Amino acid sequence: MSTLVTLLRLPRGPDPNGRGFDPNSTRFVALCPTTISASTETWTDSVEVGEEQRARSALRESFLRTLIAMTNKQVQFHMYERVEVEARFGASDIDVLNFQVSELQTPIGVQKEALLRCQDVISYSFDL
Amino acid sequence: MAMRQTPLTCSGHTRPVVDLAFSGITPYGYFLISACKDGKPMLRQGDTGDWIGTFLGHKGAVWGATLNNEATKAATAAADFTAKVWDAVTGDEVLTLAHKHIVKSVNFTQDSSCLLTGGNDKIIRIYDLNKPEAEPQEITGHTSAIKKALWCNNDTQILSAADDKTVRLWDRNSTEVVKQLSFDMSVSSMEYIPDGEVLVITYGKTIAFYNALSLDMIKTVDAPASIHSASLHPDKDFFVAGGDDFKLYKFDYGTKEELESYKGHFGPVHCVRFSPDGELYASGSEDGTLRLWQTAVGKTYGLWKCVLPVIGSRELEGKAANGGVGFGDDQ
Repeated sequence: MSTLVTLLRLPRGPDPNGRGFDPNSTRFVALCPTTISASTETWTDSVEVGEEQRARSALRESFLRTLIAMTNKQVQFHMYERVEVEARFGASDIDVLNFQVSELQTPIGVQKEALLRCQDVISYSFDL
Repeated sequence: MAMRQTPLTCSGHTRPVVDLAFSGITPYGYFLISACKDGKPMLRQGDTGDWIGTFLGHKGAVWGATLNNEATKAATAAADFTAKVWDAVTGDEVLTLAHKHIVKSVNFTQDSSCLLTGGNDKIIRIYDLNKPEAEPQEITGHTSAIKKALWCNNDTQILSAADDKTVRLWDRNSTEVVKQLSFDMSVSSMEYIPDGEVLVITYGKTIAFYNALSLDMIKTVDAPASIHSASLHPDKDFFVAGGDDFKLYKFDYGTKEELESYKGHFGPVHCVRFSPDGELYASGSEDGTLRLWQTAVGKTYGLWKCVLPVIGSRELEGKAANGGVGFGDDQ
């Protein structure tokens, strides 16, 4: 009597929109209850942790608002290898790994559409 | 007597998968990391192949990847001349270790305190992860690019395989070579089994087994095709191998007999490893996929479910419902 093996389902593939490591997974919650540096040293005053979290939230919100403000504006990017380019900012991906830009001015010409790798960017500036 | 098997295919990589490694068994199961030429190593749940996350940061092909026993840390070796250490729970990059050439191999000690690296600059390096800014200890001697460097003998010694056609055993403290094996051709892969101190080496069409402490040869087995990687089952009853002909071969370790061969990959098989519980083995291929294969085909495990043939199945359902005879591993 031979047996058949069926598959319950196929393995889940990568999420095209993010890098994974679900913070709601059992393992993440158990091993990383908080990633706030103040509390990883010693469990200090919860007030300190609260303050640090508030500061982080404020900075994060401010950063996200700058991305919104930058949309369709000319931005100067200062990058590694002494690269200075200017382009019209379009959007960022969810993990801030790539910036979508248009009319990228490079020493070898203007690139109509381009992706800038964020880790290559040292700083960028634009006029509000 | 070929048994058909349904491997689980894990897609997601866009270039060849060149290395893979399992973690130990943790309270959350065991995990699998894959190194890929697309520069984006991935972490997967070991028994299902479900994608957990991708380690983003390398700027070149990733040639080697490893997890620590608890699967809390990952390390990767890449063509961008760096080895990186990652938090395997959050996916965050923890450390970047700059090298002077392509890094090919990374390996944690049992307690995850030190990282061994080896690559095209022919130097083995030992990094103390508690003092990452300190200069690494260097072990020189190989005359060609290092393919693999592994801790052995309770992390007191190091085994390395290089394109200079040698496998060398080094003492960690003296950094001197203790013993050396020479081959007629480059070693394609190396696996170290701490329990029993077995070293599995592949070269040409041969899979060779050595005592890891003495480097005495135990046995060699020849496969029908050029083999890129082999892995010995934890119970040392089987070993599996894969290579140029795209197939996975399963051999009896005791009798050296070829038991099965499985087709499935669309390109040469670059790496193959048994899971820590021995229930499955994973293969990575030029075709960009990983495949998980059952050791005992027909067993209910992970995403595989054993289904009995349908003869009067209604009766069987009835029996099960009445708390009658259980069939196989069905719950």
